[in-house]
Parts: sequence; C-alpha cells; structure tokens
Amino acid sequence: MALNLDRRHFLGLAGAGAGAAALSACGGPSTAGPASATAASDIDFSGVKPAASFDFWSNHPGKSQDVEKAIIDQFQAKFPDIKVNLVTAGANYEEIAQKFQTSQAAKSGLPGLVVLSDVWWFRYYSNGNIIALDSAIKQLDIKVDDFQKSLIADYKYADKQWALPYGRSTPLFYYNRDHFKAAGLPDRAPKTWQEFAEWAPKLKASSGAQYAYIYPALAGYAGWTLQNNLWGWGGSWSNEWNVNCDSAESVAALQWAQDSIFKDKWAGVSSKEAADDFAAGITSSTISSTGSLLGVLKSASFNVGVGYLPGGPKNESPVCPTGGAGLGIPSGVSKEVQLAAATFLKFMTEPENTVQFSAATGYMPTRTSADMTAVLAATPQIKTAMDQLTVTRVQDNARVFLPGADQEMAKSAAAILTQQGDVQATMTALKATLEGIYTKDVKPKLKS
Amino acid sequence: MTRQLTDRPRAAVETKPTATPRRRWSPRARRDFFVFLALALPNLLLIAVFTYLPLFNNIYYSTLDWTLGSASATVVGLDNYVTFFTSTDATKVLGTTAVFTLITVGGSMLLGLLVAIALNSKIRGTTFARSAVFAPYVLSGVGVGLVWLFIFDPGYGVLAWLLRGIGQQSPQWINDPQLSLVMVIIVYVWKNLGYCAVVYLAGLQSLPQDVMEAASLDGANGLRRFLSMSLPLLSPTTFFLLITTMLSSLQAFDLIRIMTPLGNGTSTLIYEAYLQAFGAFNRAGYSAAISVVLFAILLIITLLQLRFVERKVHYS
Repeated sequence: MALNLDRRHFLGLAGAGAGAAALSACGGPSTAGPASATAASDIDFSGVKPAASFDFWSNHPGKSQDVEKAIIDQFQAKFPDIKVNLVTAGANYEEIAQKFQTSQAAKSGLPGLVVLSDVWWFRYYSNGNIIALDSAIKQLDIKVDDFQKSLIADYKYADKQWALPYGRSTPLFYYNRDHFKAAGLPDRAPKTWQEFAEWAPKLKASSGAQYAYIYPALAGYAGWTLQNNLWGWGGSWSNEWNVNCDSAESVAALQWAQDSIFKDKWAGVSSKEAADDFAAGITSSTISSTGSLLGVLKSASFNVGVGYLPGGPKNESPVCPTGGAGLGIPSGVSKEVQLAAATFLKFMTEPENTVQFSAATGYMPTRTSADMTAVLAATPQIKTAMDQLTVTRVQDNARVFLPGADQEMAKSAAAILTQQGDVQATMTALKATLEGIYTKDVKPKLKS
Repeated sequence: MTRQLTDRPRAAVETKPTATPRRRWSPRARRDFFVFLALALPNLLLIAVFTYLPLFNNIYYSTLDWTLGSASATVVGLDNYVTFFTSTDATKVLGTTAVFTLITVGGSMLLGLLVAIALNSKIRGTTFARSAVFAPYVLSGVGVGLVWLFIFDPGYGVLAWLLRGIGQQSPQWINDPQLSLVMVIIVYVWKNLGYCAVVYLAGLQSLPQDVMEAASLDGANGLRRFLSMSLPLLSPTTFFLLITTMLSSLQAFDLIRIMTPLGNGTSTLIYEAYLQAFGAFNRAGYSAAISVVLFAILLIITLLQLRFVERKVHYS
C-alpha cells in the first residue's frame, strides 16, 4: 500500500487528533443531572460470592502497621480464600482521602476497604463514594449492638450505617508527673483550665521545660482539640448548622488561649506533633490523641500521667470530643469485592481484634464486650481514655461536615495563637468563610 | 501572483482545467518526510496526550461546579473565575505568588551571580566549591524540605538551639504564616542559586578576554569593567535565567508542600490550585479555573519577556 502523506492528509490526521482531544475533554464527571446527594444505595449481597482478594487502604493510625498485618494474618488463616492486600495509602487521614478521591475521579484502582476519618466519611457519603453497610451487617451478622454506642452512631445518617468504628480516639491530657511532683502539684490532670493557669507559673519555674503547656500543632487538627476550650467556655464552632464561632463565649475561650501564650507566657504552640514535643521534654503537659499514648509511653524518659481534658468556667463536662477513624466500603468496586471486604471488616472489628489493636496503639476498644483486662494490666493509662468515653460530646457540625473547615479553623487559630491577631475579628471572618462553605458545598446536598 | 496568472496565454489556461497540479514528491523527499514522521510523531503524540489534552480538559473542567470524587457536576460557565477574582483569597494568593516569585527569582539570580564571580577566580578549591554550590539544585525537594524543617523547628531545631545559646527564643517559623513564607523563600533560594551560579559561571568564562584586557589597559578598574562590560555582555545569560527561573518559581510545589502542607501564608497560585482540588475542599472545577489563571499568567509573562526584555539583550 503506497503512502501518500501529503499536507492535506497530515492536516487531516491532526484534525482527527484534535477532535479526539475535544471529545475526551467531554469526559470526566457527568453533567446530565444535578450535582447533589448521590449517595450509593444499600447493596443486596444474596447469592454473591466473595472475591478472592481485595486491597485494604490504611494510613496505619497510631503506627498500627504491624498489628494490622498480624490481624490480617489471622484473617487469612480463618478465610484462606480471601486475600487481603494491606496498602499504605497515605501518612495521615488527609493523604489517604486525597488518594481515595483521586481514584474516584479516575474511576480506577479503588480499594475494597478504606480508612476514613471523622471529617471525611460524610463527604464520601454525599459523593456516593461508599455503600451503606446495613445489608452486609444483616447478612454477615455483625453485632452492631455490641459497639460503643457513641462511636457507631457517628457514622449513621439518613437511617443507614455508612462505616464502622476502627481507630477511634479522644484527646487526652498528658502531663509529666516528675515535673508536677517537683512543682508540688497533685498527681492528676487539672479539673479546669483556670486551675491549670494557677499551676502553670510554678510548673514553668521548677521544671526547666520551655513551656508548662503546649497547644497541639495547628496544621494538624487544631479544630478538633480547640473544641475542648470552646466548650469549656460555653462556646463552639457551631450549633447544629448555625455557625457561632464568633459568639462572646467562643471569643473569650480563644482570648484566654492567646493570653496564655503572649500575656502569661507559660504556653506555646507545637510546630509538628505535640506528643513528640511532650515526650522530648519541651513541655510539661499537652493535649494529644489517645492514639499517641503507646508512642509517648515508649519514647518518654519520665513518668507519664494522663487525665481527662480540663473544663472551663462554664462547663466542666462534657468537654471532650470523639475522633479518629472508621472503615468504609467503596461503591465503585464489584459486589464480590464489597462482600469480601465486609467479611474482613467484621473480623477486624471483632472484640478480640479491637483489643489487640487497642493494646498496640492506645486507641479505644470499639466493642463493649472487649476484654481489656490484660491490656489494662500492661498499660493502665488506656483506662483513662476508656472512662473518658462516657463524658464525650458529639463534635460540632462545622468541623466534621464542612469540607475544608478544619483547615480554615487551623488558619484562624494560627492568626490568634501565633500572630496575636484580634480574636473577635478573626472569628467573624472565620464565620463568614464557614457559612460560605455550608451554603455552597453542603446545604444543597443535605437530605431535606 | 495574480498578474502572472492573468498574463498567461489564454490557450495555456484553457488546456489546464484544474487550478494547480498536485506536486509529486520525489522518492527521497517522501523518505525524508517518513523519517521525520517516525522521529517526530511519537513525541508530538506524547505532547498532545500529556500536555495539550490535559490543558483542554482542564479548561473544560474550569467551567464546572465539580466536587472531586463526585460522578456528577454542573456546568457553571465562568462562575469559578468570577468567584476567584471576587474573593479575598485571590488578593492573598496573587500577592503571595508575586512576593514568592520576585524574591526567589531576584535572590537566586543575584546570589548566583555573586557566587559565580567568586567561583570564577583562580584560587584553590574552586572545583569543590562549584560542586558544593550546585549540589542542592539536584537534590530532591522533598528531602531538602524535610531537612530544613528540622533546622527551622522552633522546638528542637538547630536554629532554635543556636538562638537559645544567645538567650533568644526561636521565631515560630512553621506556625506563623508570614514567617512560613520567609522560611520557604530562604530554602528555595538556597536550593536554586547553584543553578544560576553555574549558568552565570559559564557566561563569565565565555566573555572575550581580549576586550576585557583592552578595557583594563585603558584604566578601567574591576568594578567599572564588571558594570560596563561584563554585565552587558552577560545579558543573554541573564535573559535566559530570568525566563527559566521565573517559570520554575511560579510552578514551585515540592518545598511548599513538604514544609507548609496547610499552605498557611505560602499558598501560591499553583499550591492553591492543589489545595482546592486535592486538599480538604475537593473543589475540582474551581481548582481548574485557578490553574487556567496560572497558565494565562505564565503565557503573558513569557510573551512580555520575549517582546520587551529581549530587546535589551546583547547577543554579541
């Protein structure tokens, strides 16, 4: 066949290429319908055979890679026909979410099971990225009633269960018992922040540490831990969907925090990880996740004490938010993969495995029937976290349901706690930002 | 051309009913063209698939209200652009981009030139010094960012340790948005000045020595020779560096991502586009609009440089 590659043919080829490019530009999301609530419906698994293998995406919360592997090995022994591939899909909840969302957009490479944090699962739900677990719960006889009620209720929406609790935590008050003793303070966490303000100058004077208290890193989860201060002063980020972070109570709480750094000069702000700063002896106390407990106990060269979060002038309790991650099943994989993942999900959250996970990380056991006797004998501090669960409070909607709110809260906290910005003005600006996010990104997707 | 055609004898026109005869390619020309296609087409295809296709896709996505991860989206026309340019974020982001770009480009070039002058001298150890200065440029941005984070850490960083030695507290390099920008700029300039130094060094070494010696014989001192002769003769190098470092600075990502993941105070256009789509917001359409704005800025800057700055360049 003779080639006749003259200019006309060449331009024709180029035109075809451009046409293909133009056509492919019409790929991506469908623009046929409204971009609102596209939550995947529940799946009927009757007659479905579990897939031979699936990927489990985890960020290994609380440095849990080894214990995750161990539990997977136990699962393989019991279910040799289902292979679980443990994939490190990020270093934290944000990175795993980024990978998951990108795979959703690419419509390929999705896992069978994914770790989802408190601020991400609702977005997955509203985008239709995860399935309701009710059918799997029924078919596999997962004992939902045995889960800690407050933890499993976090993933319920529109009368369906969208995830099961996994690495669940609360913040804990960590203190250096040696420093407290040297300062002549009682061996316990302060009941209120006002009480701690009285202790702080003594602590700073006697300990030699840089700070009596260090606020958790703002780039991490400032919006999570600062709820403790806001609630203690009678404020909050929001009341249901009403953003009220600029209320007099909220402003007073953050003003007190700012004063502790710039006026009273006994507090600082962590740059990376408050638990590491605490374990390194930079500060006499801090607030960090229960998931950091085992790491702190291993690395600290002093006696570590833990206690409930301090209250404030308005509320002594409940002032502790729940947090951490659950496990969900993507909607974009086959029924077979979903069933295999659900089988593993059931196994992973069994009482004996949640105990094993808890013992390795410090995260709370998610099942009420979990026998923690041996774990508590080895690490009695976990008991504080478990007991504190009874006095936790559901997180503010603005933090957990508004996309990007956590980051906006962290930026505002940075302005207040590192730049000594005007608290009222900063909170007023934050309110406007959060309301904008709600109106644009959430309100259209809410079930009426 | 028209005149030639009309001047042709009528008979000749009538005997050729078709307008223009198809030019027949000689076997050699055809073979050359085939070789050209064989060599160029794969690259053209790669550029089309990995550069132009995403570009056009991105322009299309910028007209959508699309949440990353969602299977559906709404066409909103230019709404994303309007939202960006009418938000307070636009002022902040464009301001941060301008500050970051101007200081990193100016800093890298100025320091690079000074280092190049030092390296151009005939003293011992310059070969090692050249390698040492250039090394940061070839290092991974992620590794460089992590190491510098340890240096800047206000708790247990080297800088904090040195400051404590003289009784001073470390500034909040990581938490304070303004200091975060200063921190990233310092590291970026440190990493990239080696590139400017090496390019300037090559330029300095290619300067005509006879002209420089003549100027010296005429009594021009070192500073005068540098300002009146070396610098103008280096203008092609300066022009080249201006374009390449500005494009590189406007697209700087790795150091910002590693050192300030939240982008608090360091959110340049490209990082804002990343945060909006792949950070917590998942606003893919809005992010695409920011990317188009960045593309337009890059295009305009490059065209302006080619149109106006190049006039000042002495190529000989």
